[in-house]
Amino acid sequence: MGTKRNDILQGTLDLLILRTLASRGKLHGYAITAHIHSVSNELLRVEEGSLYPALHRLEQEGWVRAEWGTTEKNRAARFYSLTAKGHKQLHAEEASWRRLTEGVDRVIRFA
Amino acid sequence: MAWTRRLLNTVCARRTQTDIEREIAFHLREREEELREQGMSAPEAARMARMQFGSRIAHIERTRDMDLNLLLDSLYRNLRFSLRSLRKSPVFTLAAVLTLALGIGVNSAVFSVVDAVLLRPLPFPESEQLVELGQANAKSAGNLIAPVRLEEWNRLNSTFEAISGYYQEDASELSGDMPERLRRAFVAPRFFQILGVAPALGRDLSAQEQSFSGPRAVLISDRLWRRRFAADPNVTRKALRFGRTLSPIIGVMPPQFAFPASTVDVWSGAGIDAPYAQGRDLTWFTGIGRLKPRLTLEQAQSNLAAVQAALGKDFPKSDGKLGVSLTPLKDSKVGGVRRTLWILFGSVTLLLLLACANVTALFLSRATARAHDIAVRFSLGASKGAVAGHLLTEVGVIAFIGALLGLLMASGTASLFRRLARDLPRLEEITLDWRILAYSLAAAAVTTMLCGLLPVLRSSEALGAVMNQSGRGRVQGRSKVQFTLVGIQVALAVTLLAAAGLLVRSFLYVGQVAPGFDADNVISFHLSVSWNETGQPDLRSRLERILEGMRAIPGVANAATSITLPGAPTDYTVEFKTLDGPGDPDRRISGQQRYVTPSYFETMRIPLLAGEMCQARAGKPTAVVNNSFARVYFPGETLIGRRLTQPGNAYIQPGEVVGIVGDARETGMHEEPRPTLYWCGAPFQPRVYFLVRADGKPSVVLSAIRYKLRELEPNRSVYDLMLLRDRLGDSYSNARLRGVLLSFFALTAVSLACIGLYGTLSYLVNVRQKEIGVRMALGASRAGIVSQFLMQGLRVALFGCVAGLCLVAAGSKLLTGLLFGVVPSDPWNAIRLLPVCWQ
Repeated sequence: MGTKRNDILQGTLDLLILRTLASRGKLHGYAITAHIHSVSNELLRVEEGSLYPALHRLEQEGWVRAEWGTTEKNRAARFYSLTAKGHKQLHAEEASWRRLTEGVDRVIRFA
Repeated sequence: MAWTRRLLNTVCARRTQTDIEREIAFHLREREEELREQGMSAPEAARMARMQFGSRIAHIERTRDMDLNLLLDSLYRNLRFSLRSLRKSPVFTLAAVLTLALGIGVNSAVFSVVDAVLLRPLPFPESEQLVELGQANAKSAGNLIAPVRLEEWNRLNSTFEAISGYYQEDASELSGDMPERLRRAFVAPRFFQILGVAPALGRDLSAQEQSFSGPRAVLISDRLWRRRFAADPNVTRKALRFGRTLSPIIGVMPPQFAFPASTVDVWSGAGIDAPYAQGRDLTWFTGIGRLKPRLTLEQAQSNLAAVQAALGKDFPKSDGKLGVSLTPLKDSKVGGVRRTLWILFGSVTLLLLLACANVTALFLSRATARAHDIAVRFSLGASKGAVAGHLLTEVGVIAFIGALLGLLMASGTASLFRRLARDLPRLEEITLDWRILAYSLAAAAVTTMLCGLLPVLRSSEALGAVMNQSGRGRVQGRSKVQFTLVGIQVALAVTLLAAAGLLVRSFLYVGQVAPGFDADNVISFHLSVSWNETGQPDLRSRLERILEGMRAIPGVANAATSITLPGAPTDYTVEFKTLDGPGDPDRRISGQQRYVTPSYFETMRIPLLAGEMCQARAGKPTAVVNNSFARVYFPGETLIGRRLTQPGNAYIQPGEVVGIVGDARETGMHEEPRPTLYWCGAPFQPRVYFLVRADGKPSVVLSAIRYKLRELEPNRSVYDLMLLRDRLGDSYSNARLRGVLLSFFALTAVSLACIGLYGTLSYLVNVRQKEIGVRMALGASRAGIVSQFLMQGLRVALFGCVAGLCLVAAGSKLLTGLLFGVVPSDPWNAIRLLPVCWQ
């Protein structure tokens, strides 16, 4: 596989994580990467090393909640889920992302 | 709250780290599995997974930094902001810091004593295995062990590593210019091995040196080594001289070694195989033993009791009725002060709570003044958590500074306790170390939570209050909380005050009762006499010559000796038997036993009521009894002329009762006189109290006494020369310690409560200035307004007083047993407190 150009744009990782958790509920870190990878039609790949610092930062901000649980294969894993604050944050980030893409799109089309 | 979780992360940084490691390991394993399912070989999959993940260590560190950074960041911001806002209100800050410094400082100080004396194990390896042993005798108070029996116990038991014993005496050391009194401990074999302590310099006593016929040898204390020999490393070539024998110094004990007492300077072998030490009735050893690992005290007790029961079969006459008593060594050392110290600790904890209430009230007042500021922060988007975090940081900063100041205060504790209670056990172990530091910081943290809680809860209300600008309603609501706080302070202060009042009054009572003897103008001292002199026939004539010498001093009325001190708590209950005359043989007579010279009664001004005074005749001891003894055991019988004996005591021959004297409080000033029998004869132990009555002021004859003693006994040292009154005071030093310290705490508490009341009232007046102005303008009189506020204050104080008295009533059970002459529910005590409430 190796590194491709479709690595995630700096700053959008939070949005992707929050969105994933909002739609899928409780997930562990590995499942989050897998989910983003498959939902984006394998276009986006989370750089695995930056996932955990991001998750922990989101936790400290109070946007996600983490707890230890077991997977269906009965392994201990740390599961993340969205808090109410996280939902609010998700809406804000989605809105700002839409504005950004719309703006960039317009520039590309009309400039 | 995210804040607390972050705090947890910082405190347990290691926990976070392993959590992260586990999380990432899980990730790698999942990835590996997926790759394997795609058809990769196991090692290949592992390598690929790791490669995709990147540097594991770097990611772990980055993740951990996420957890810590945010915390440190907000902490730093809060800290800077707090310091700035505290600097802006110096008076407030100073008041809060000082209050908490006092609260935490006093608390840490008492904790340092509780920790050193009660909580820490004794300074010996595996000290919880050390046990003090005694032989128990239903008929006698003494529990000293006969040397023969000590050796038998050691040989026959199966639960102790070893059993040993010791006894002490004051000896005159004669190698210097002047005879010097040194406290000597004579130790049975195995003593140092049991304690697990070896000499810091030189060597232990050898088997020959432990023997009676072997060479003399002594170990000296670190203190003596430094004082007399200037820490000379070649001290083992020197010797000490006791009497006519020269004892070579073979070693120096480590500085912290203070057993059996911190006063002991010399240890030597007890010569347990001496010919005079073979009697089964001759007891003088206090036993110590070390339990084998993992054995309990109960197991040792039953095993040793079985050993003693077997001895009782072999020697029915001497051992038949003897039992064993085992006490953990720590209990026997510190058991006597346990309650005193916990009560002190309880009272300083109340004081700390009071300080907290005080600071909380201060913060509430401040929060009101800053309500606007807080409201602005809210409306600018600060979260509740952020405002709370800031408030808590502010309290935390104050508590932290308070704790540091408090530690400074606590550093003086040891010397204060040394002054107030000289005989407190383990006093020399009181130090300020990391435990005390940790305790103070923990106290500061708890204080922060306690003091910060209310202001934080209130701060969110400030928002609404400012928004609708209905200032008046808010002040009313809040003042209720503040008055409650003041009420709590008053209640706590009253509780402390009442306890202090009871303790002080009972201490004063000691000086006020008519004890049946006259302690004024009496001087007491000790003279160094060694144990082996007690059997010598000339000891009595020697003592008599000294007493004659004392009486010859101008200004001295009389002189006497006694083994115990009248009025100092000493319980020496034994059982007596009548040898002749009517009366059934089953009659139990138990009473206090005292050994005095005949002049004792005149010296102490105890009147002879009937019969004649006893005589110190050789071979035919005589005794007198006190009035209670005659009344309780021989009502309506003639007692004078009867012969009494003390079964099981080889030192006492049967003696004749020749007279009856008045009742005196021999067992302590706080107790009614008990039935007592006085033997008049040579004392059987070397440590006797000399009692000298002066005609006028005793200070005049003090130096004459010293001079005379040097002339009469140039080779003996005189020590503890002091007034009997002072010595009696010392023997109540526990009571004095409690009384003095608790009074100090109570006064502090009262002044804090006063400040609290004043602060709250002045704050209220301040807030309601506008309202007062309006009322004055509408014609309200100055007196009316003043009395309104005054009544409010008084009402709170009164409620506080009542609540405090209820607390006292509930808690007074704790004090029973520490009080004499007053009962805890003493109404006078409560009434005396009332004026304080109406301050």
